Amino acid sequence: MIASPNSTSASPVRTITVTIKRQNGPAEQPRWESFQVETQDTANLISVLQSIAARPVTTEGSATTPVVYDSGCLEEVCGSCAMVINGRVRPACSALIGQIVGQDNTITIEPMGKFPVVRDLSVDRERMFAALRRVKAWVPIDGTYNLGAGPQETPDRQETRYVMSTCMSCGCCLEACPQYQQEADPKAWDTSFVGAAAINQARLFNMHATGATEKEARLEVLTGEGGVNDCGNAQNCVKVCPKEIPLTESIAAIGRDVTVHAVKKFFTGR
Amino acid sequence: MSTHAAPAKTAKTIPFIERHYFLLRRLHSLSGVAPIGLFLFPHLTTNSSIVWGSTLNQGKFGDVVAQYGSDAAGVATFQHEVDFIHNLPALVFIEIFVLWLPIAFHAILGVYFARTGKSNIDRYAYQGNYRYWLQRMTGYVGVAFIFAHVSSLRWGWTYGGLLPTFDAAHAASSTAAHMQDGLLGTTIALLYLFSVLCLVFHFANGLWTAAITWGLTVSTGAQRRWGQVCAAIGAALAVAGTSAVIGFVTLDPEEARQVEDQLAGQVTQPSASH
Repeated sequence: MIASPNSTSASPVRTITVTIKRQNGPAEQPRWESFQVETQDTANLISVLQSIAARPVTTEGSATTPVVYDSGCLEEVCGSCAMVINGRVRPACSALIGQIVGQDNTITIEPMGKFPVVRDLSVDRERMFAALRRVKAWVPIDGTYNLGAGPQETPDRQETRYVMSTCMSCGCCLEACPQYQQEADPKAWDTSFVGAAAINQARLFNMHATGATEKEARLEVLTGEGGVNDCGNAQNCVKVCPKEIPLTESIAAIGRDVTVHAVKKFFTGR
Repeated sequence: MSTHAAPAKTAKTIPFIERHYFLLRRLHSLSGVAPIGLFLFPHLTTNSSIVWGSTLNQGKFGDVVAQYGSDAAGVATFQHEVDFIHNLPALVFIEIFVLWLPIAFHAILGVYFARTGKSNIDRYAYQGNYRYWLQRMTGYVGVAFIFAHVSSLRWGWTYGGLLPTFDAAHAASSTAAHMQDGLLGTTIALLYLFSVLCLVFHFANGLWTAAITWGLTVSTGAQRRWGQVCAAIGAALAVAGTSAVIGFVTLDPEEARQVEDQLAGQVTQPSASH
């Protein structure tokens, strides 16, 4: 049994079994290990992983290595601790034991399946950042001289954009997407599906007064293979998004924009 | 092309689909709505005329109704509709360019696109995710069904007597006779009903996703409201498709044939009835 690092809270102490899909390296075979952990309903899953790291002994009593996982802010803004918990993807920091533990007192954890495993629960989400570069998810402000103040943003537009800007690149939307498959070869990232997160970022920056200068370039990318047309409208993304970003609205809005973009391009040639 | 020399190799490495990706995707979406989807309305309306014709057209076909009962009005209406379609000018051109080619295009691209996805309803059992999966499954059913349907009833392929052919001069009676032809008839009727319901779902759900694809429904509320409209359209088409099967399964083929022959006689000898 592994003691909880802080058992002073009001929530009663309980013992749960955590089963984790582990893998020593990218090319290694995965295996399952179970741990008995003393925890509380109000604790989050990261604290359980910390308890295991403090005493890495399996349920069978054999010593093992601490479970590797990514985490940062522990308050659902950095997105690094997304993992598959009881079969569904979500950030581990906001997964509270009382809400996720099953009737049989167990929790199952796996690494995300759409990204290459680095080790245990840690995955390489480089393709997400490649997708952000692909759709130019930024505001172009660099110049050789002072460009001065940009156009003013209206409060109305700020409000619409705010929730879209809360995307933390956790990758939950991609993990749950039936149209997004793991692609290990970075050369294929230019034509494979960009996914909901990048489409939402394209809309976020297209709606920004200065960011809109790159609008047609973003739409050109999203018109082609791997762009918004690859969406299959299963709408899992919006269901699993921990930030409750209206991803399906962003997909539809970009769908409308690429329609206009393609018609314009057909008649004007650019 | 093989006539090109070595320098053309770079262009050759880009597949046709990648070069015309947007156009092909949107033509696939458009072809599903029009002409293919729109065709479902007249098709299922015509088929179900065996039922609605028996109530709505009793006055129009009063002679045969007086002799054979209200079912005769359904038989007469269905025959009337079939005659109208078969008398359309350049029917085979309409069939090729409005139906067969668009359906083949939609089917080939649809299967290609469907194979890029990997369903995960076991993990994410959301209603929308089920519809995503069903859209692909009903598409596969639809490809097989439409080919069997058109090849047997229109082109006359019987597959060694397994599938029935269509007798345009005895539209209702031949259809009813085939559907009531023992175990094989029952099996064909049930498979037909299942396939029609699959295609009705495929169209209704496709109409909903097409509105998102083209950017007509952007807000969540708009998508929900359009979803309700699509569900209503799907329900109406499902009722039409199902009632047609019930109509033909419960029809007396012998009597229907007499009605058809009697009406055909009236048409060929118009002076005799006056």
